[in-house]
Amino acid sequence: MNRGGEWTPQPESGVEAALAGLAGPAPGDFAARVLQRVGIPRDRYDMYLHLEAPAGGLYVAYGAQAVTGAALGRTLAGPQAFEEAHRARTGRSAIPTTRPLPGLRTALRTGRAKSLVIDLPELTEAERAALDAVRTIPRGQLRPLAWVAREAALPDDAPVTEALVANPVPLLIPCHRVTFDNGGPCDLRYGPIVGAVLRKAEGIDDALVGLSRSGTAFLGSDTTRIYCHPTCAHARRITPPHQVPFRSARAAREAGYRACKSCRPIAA
Amino acid sequence: MDETAEPLPERMATDLDDGFTELVRVHASAVHAFLLRVTGNAAEADDLGQETFLRAYTALQGYSAERRSALRPRAWLMTIATNVWRNHVRTCIRRPVAAAPVEESCESWPDEGPGPQEHAETAADRALLVAALARLPERARVAVVLRHVVGMSYAEVAEVQGCPVGTVKAQVSRGLSVLRELLEPEVALLREVTM
Repeated sequence: MNRGGEWTPQPESGVEAALAGLAGPAPGDFAARVLQRVGIPRDRYDMYLHLEAPAGGLYVAYGAQAVTGAALGRTLAGPQAFEEAHRARTGRSAIPTTRPLPGLRTALRTGRAKSLVIDLPELTEAERAALDAVRTIPRGQLRPLAWVAREAALPDDAPVTEALVANPVPLLIPCHRVTFDNGGPCDLRYGPIVGAVLRKAEGIDDALVGLSRSGTAFLGSDTTRIYCHPTCAHARRITPPHQVPFRSARAAREAGYRACKSCRPIAA
Repeated sequence: MDETAEPLPERMATDLDDGFTELVRVHASAVHAFLLRVTGNAAEADDLGQETFLRAYTALQGYSAERRSALRPRAWLMTIATNVWRNHVRTCIRRPVAAAPVEESCESWPDEGPGPQEHAETAADRALLVAALARLPERARVAVVLRHVVGMSYAEVAEVQGCPVGTVKAQVSRGLSVLRELLEPEVALLREVTM
């Protein structure tokens, strides 16, 4: 890899081109071993690696204890772009490694990253609260912005959208599970195409997204008289003859339904 | 120098650990590639690379802040790497009792020359080029690798080699023509015949 920028390859004969082709990246953990041998304290730098994930894999950077940043492979040019973006955002160097933080691989494989420690000191209090609320959305489910704001105990949507635009740890903080209040997907971090790929990998079918878009905000069951977000695990168990669609929480309440205690729809 | 490494010396001057981490991030690949192509042996390149950065860190600890901020990191690191490698080669020659793999790689570089089978596989194979590189004399090899594998400017290479730019240009060009002859024996033969 030619890290220096000043050398531009001129039109050259075979030998020079072949020599330039001999430069390759160092083995995966060479830099990490250097730092270990020299004895730089572990809390002075982050390590990162590229893990299997939808949308081009995920670069994940982590410090001694916690994940400090991530980026989807499809949104970046390569590892060097990730290193530089991480440096620019956190002021810490990301050193390539081959060994992930314990629990990271499992979190990615199962899509359950709630218990993973994520440390984002560069965000504001409100943004962190919003992202923490986003992290509680279960795999395969969708929640509107207003729900996130309510769960985070924030007065309005503004800090939530800011946090979603910034989201420094996409996928592990599942911002692809957030929708606008009208039900349309809210992919502020990486655009609708990548968002659709991530949702598809979790089995969130477009029919459900479409259901919300057609004006059905909540789904009730006429046997239990409980209403849920349409992607809530309890809503998905309602058999079609018993599904009762509602346009708003008020309509559901007026019909004598109560809110689900596990997906906690906003009782407007 | 390159944009990514531009504020690096200042960073090393203000906070050594942070600056050194960044130094490793930016230059580890280049140092490793240089040592790999000069030694022709991945395990050795790895060891010598570690040694290079360890020495760099120890040296930086003794430097004043002004000296650190005046540093040109890449050329400086390559100088250390070259010295580490030369010392290593010298040690191996003086103490041939070293472990077998080290001994092999130090004393008999050119022996791993390409056999007829390799010739048959791909004419312009990387293995051929690596073997040819190993036949170059030390200084020419360092110059060629720094210039064309790592991609440094002639001025930077001259700084590493501690000699004038013109000398480096001559070393590189001579090295390249030797490589060409090694890689294309027929062409060289033809030239001998015609001359």
